[in-house]
Amino acid sequence: MITTTPPAVLVNELRKSYAREGGVWPFGGSRQSRHVALDGVSFELRQGERLAYLGPNGAGKTTMIRCLSGRTRPDSGKIELLGRPVDRSSARETLGLVPQEIALYADLTTRENLTAFGRFHGLRGSELRKSVQWALQWTGLKDRGDDLVSTFSGGMKRRVNLACGVLHQPEVLLLDEPSVGVDPQSRQRIFSMLDQLSDRGTSILLTTHHLDEAQTQCDRIVIVDRGRVVASGTFDELLRQTIGGDRNVHVRLDQELRGEGNEPLATCGLPLSVTPGEHSISAKVAEIAIGLPQLIDAIGAAGYGVVDVEVQSPSLHHVFLHLTGHELRD
Amino acid sequence: MIWKVIEIHLRRLRHNRVEWLLTFVVPIAFFSIFALIFTRGVGTTPRVKVVLVNGAAETTDAPTVTDRCQEVLDSLGENEGLKVIRGSSDSTTVDRATAESMVRRGTATIAVVIDQKDEQLAAELLNDASDQVASQVVTALVTRAIIMGSAPTPPSVQPPVSTADNRASSPEQPLQSERSQPEHLRPGQIQSRQLQSEQLQSGQLSPQQMQTEQADFAQFVRNVASKPAAGESGASANDGNAILPPSFAPPKIDVVNVIGEGKTNPVISVYAAGIAVMFLLFGATTGGGVLLEERENQTLERLLATHMTMDQLLLGKWFYLTLLGCVQVTVMFVWAQLVFGLNLIEHFDGFAMMTVATASAAASFGLFLATLCRTRGQLGGLSVVAVLTMSALGGSMVPRYVMSEPLQRAGLWTFNAWALDGYDKVFWRELPPGELGPQLAVLMATAFVLLLAARLLAIRWEVT
Repeated sequence: MITTTPPAVLVNELRKSYAREGGVWPFGGSRQSRHVALDGVSFELRQGERLAYLGPNGAGKTTMIRCLSGRTRPDSGKIELLGRPVDRSSARETLGLVPQEIALYADLTTRENLTAFGRFHGLRGSELRKSVQWALQWTGLKDRGDDLVSTFSGGMKRRVNLACGVLHQPEVLLLDEPSVGVDPQSRQRIFSMLDQLSDRGTSILLTTHHLDEAQTQCDRIVIVDRGRVVASGTFDELLRQTIGGDRNVHVRLDQELRGEGNEPLATCGLPLSVTPGEHSISAKVAEIAIGLPQLIDAIGAAGYGVVDVEVQSPSLHHVFLHLTGHELRD
Repeated sequence: MIWKVIEIHLRRLRHNRVEWLLTFVVPIAFFSIFALIFTRGVGTTPRVKVVLVNGAAETTDAPTVTDRCQEVLDSLGENEGLKVIRGSSDSTTVDRATAESMVRRGTATIAVVIDQKDEQLAAELLNDASDQVASQVVTALVTRAIIMGSAPTPPSVQPPVSTADNRASSPEQPLQSERSQPEHLRPGQIQSRQLQSEQLQSGQLSPQQMQTEQADFAQFVRNVASKPAAGESGASANDGNAILPPSFAPPKIDVVNVIGEGKTNPVISVYAAGIAVMFLLFGATTGGGVLLEERENQTLERLLATHMTMDQLLLGKWFYLTLLGCVQVTVMFVWAQLVFGLNLIEHFDGFAMMTVATASAAASFGLFLATLCRTRGQLGGLSVVAVLTMSALGGSMVPRYVMSEPLQRAGLWTFNAWALDGYDKVFWRELPPGELGPQLAVLMATAFVLLLAARLLAIRWEVT
């Protein structure tokens, strides 16, 4: 008998559009155009997986999180949570939401905030106290539990912000830019906290503009643009789908490239970028251990000296720009 | 550099609609409101609500005396400065007990009881001492009405030297004299005046007598005008008799404070309630602003993603604001008791009812404004306009009795007016809590309707 585990989140052909806000008061003017935030988005978050949901500004990331958390009703399409269609009740039981802003009561202490949000998530009594103690430990703020949140640094606030969303031990955690505006140390701490959640089996969907984080801290990546998914998969899969895995090798020469006498470079068997008058050569190298010696030999044979060599691996940054272009979106 | 700073602020002002509102619209709006109050309100002396009592009808069977009193009451009834409040029947007069009850309940400001004592018409004014203007106005009008009914025609309205010859040489003068006669004079009074007029015209009074009469009358007018406020002292208006000739003795007018007599600080409850309600509204709108703050920093988004519903959130805030408002008002009244001698403990039942109703209405108002606005900036501007307008019209800043009737009617659209009326009944009129029905009903209905409106407006923050 074959059993299949349903994905933690399954999104199928999701569409959502908004009336553009124009008026000053709640019910604004009648001449409202519509903005398509989601235009048939499909992807899945597997159980226990950490998925990066990336896209330029205005790509519909926050709208997707609001749809998943049951805060926005999609125009069409389907969302399933652990194999069941999502509704508000299942969403609040299964999901944890950590918004992009520091959505805390700054004039309450850490413990008071945790207790309040734990209570809002349905915890009470000893279960609530235990969760609060765990959260204080988890965030590393045990000794600051009775301090006002308003006195904290940005990184500390982020950690409390995160803790308030996971007190009820949700199976799926939605994080909207969890590390925005914090220093590298705090960012590292936040991801080590997420590692602990992943170890517990929590499925995590996060949006971020820190592409290096997505590349190194997430199992899979979904890139969206203009309300549509433009690529998804692991980082290596994305590389293969887009710019390939060849390294960029950049060699600085001791003299300008001549207009003639460069035949050894042409016959080395590597795709080179050679422009007479410049001081450098660029090449795409699939196997660096083989290709780099070949390149350096060819440069020497052509009568140039090597001043410096830079080998650049393709990154998610390159993939992202390749897929979404260089045009500003906001 | 300095110019750049100025330029930056000007540019920011240009883009900030709320600041425009607060800088230019709010001051003009308030100037207009106070201008209305003090020009159409105070400037044209609002009509005093009086209830008329024919005292003679209750104390004597002599129809002539009763008729004489009724003539004065009728003339008062026709006076444009007074608004006669009728009892249950269509009659312009009521009995004394009913009149006193009407004053106690605030239906009328003063009851005018006209009776005859020692062959002289006398008046008793059953006064509500909270209106410090009305008793003086009514005293003057009643004095005039009684004098017009019994005293000789003031020489000032006669020709300077009213001889038959002069009359013949100046045909317009008799006309002026007749025109100056009040329209409500009764035949007997007119005959009396005609007799004196004829004496003057026929030369029976010598020029010396004329001058004496004129001087006496002028002195009488000065004495009446300079007499201390009857409402304050409760003294008789005929204190100036000693210096007056018998023919111009002013009528005996007693001002009896049926409400407020003996109170150490008669207006403290009025101001305590006025200020308390105004700050209750400010507190509630500030508290309502927390909802917008939660929306702006996505706390609302997070809250609504938990087990919390919008109903629970709004009700939680409403109960909190109501509780805070109750404590705020109680603290203010306790302070008023400790420092200014307000009697809170004896009236605690009525106070508690009014405070709960007022605080709940204010809480709903705060939440309504918050859900009406998009940003805290908008809420700040709108709440300043709304609260100050309501406070001005509703009597928190200026007592409503000094306003004109249209403004007083407009004030009833604010719940400041209803709240202040309720506190007035509790502390000033010392009415039992059962009398607070209309005020409590209006405030609780306001609380319910505004909370419902807030809930409807908040739908847009739920699932979209």
